[in-house]
Amino acid sequence: MGQIVGGIGVSHAPSLARAYDEGKGEDPVWRDIFKSYEPAAEWLKALEPDALVVVYNDHVNQFFFDAYPTFALGVANTFAQADEGWGKRPLPDLQGDSDLGWHIARSLVADEFDPTICQEMVVDHGVYSILPFLMPPPWETPIVPLAVNVIQHPLPTAQRCFNIGAAIGRAVTSFRDARIVIIATGGMSHQLHGTDFGHLAPDWDNEFLDLLESEPEALCELNHLDYMQRGGAESVEVIMWLVMRGAMGSRVRNIHRAYFAPMLTGYGLVCFESA
Amino acid sequence: MVQMTVFTGERSMAGYRLNKLSASLIDPANRANFLADEPAYCRRFDLTDAETKLVKNRDWTGMVEAGGNVYVFLKIAATVGSNLLEVGAEMRGETLTQFMATRPPQKRSK
Repeated sequence: MGQIVGGIGVSHAPSLARAYDEGKGEDPVWRDIFKSYEPAAEWLKALEPDALVVVYNDHVNQFFFDAYPTFALGVANTFAQADEGWGKRPLPDLQGDSDLGWHIARSLVADEFDPTICQEMVVDHGVYSILPFLMPPPWETPIVPLAVNVIQHPLPTAQRCFNIGAAIGRAVTSFRDARIVIIATGGMSHQLHGTDFGHLAPDWDNEFLDLLESEPEALCELNHLDYMQRGGAESVEVIMWLVMRGAMGSRVRNIHRAYFAPMLTGYGLVCFESA
Repeated sequence: MVQMTVFTGERSMAGYRLNKLSASLIDPANRANFLADEPAYCRRFDLTDAETKLVKNRDWTGMVEAGGNVYVFLKIAATVGSNLLEVGAEMRGETLTQFMATRPPQKRSK
């Protein structure tokens, strides 16, 4: 049987992509942030995962509002990098795992979750901005991407995110012997529009990290406006971390945690193992 | 209270043309066409005169009010050589320098 051997929650942001491409690892603003990913990358490598399930949101690069799915599962053996308007970064395409993808698709639908199933899917900075920090390219570990609508309301509830995570956990358990890590990207506090552009809420972000580990049911009870008023409108995407948490089972052990808020977005990182 | 404009289904409908134009700029050929003849590009997407003016003026605040989504109209910013920080400063009614003075990194470096 398959096993979820680890879970990661981590922020994605275009600024991380730029810092990576510009080699800012020694820059005083970025040095500690870059270093904070190293223990996570070493732990992830030591886990020797056979595949990653990566939960993220598409920033209107694969999907447009003509047909914007609430949940979309990538089932393919390769995923190309999206050009988001600035051109592609010098990074390879991602390998997919269609066996695991179809298995999760079948299991989710049997479990009464109905994702859009995508055999072609470009993947944007929701994955590409952070993956190089966690797993240096070239990438040999395949991924199964799950895109969540956190942009156009109505959004799935926090509880729904947790529940689909639990269903992914069940899907992995009924898969063949395989070591799977689930990564959720997004958030944390940030607002990217209006007069409160740049809103940051480090206290709330850290409270979220505490609750995610020990009391995720409290996070499941919050509605979208609760999240948006605390962390800024665009920070609502942090509900995607509950997909990861839902997949991890009732108790987790924290392996590594970091948090920075240097510019526009709270950069959080947690690594969990099931306890 | 954090001031915000929630991107509801109704707003998404109101901003549909504007967002569709913006989203089209993920294609390098479309970016070239936009830069070559912006008014023609706006006509191609059936933008109203008011929407065309928002694009012409890089009026990001006005785009939000018209149903534009920041993730999408950022592709206009990308196409014309701008970036998120400049877009954000404009929406706050600040210059980029004024905005950057509000950020923690400026207090620590340089």
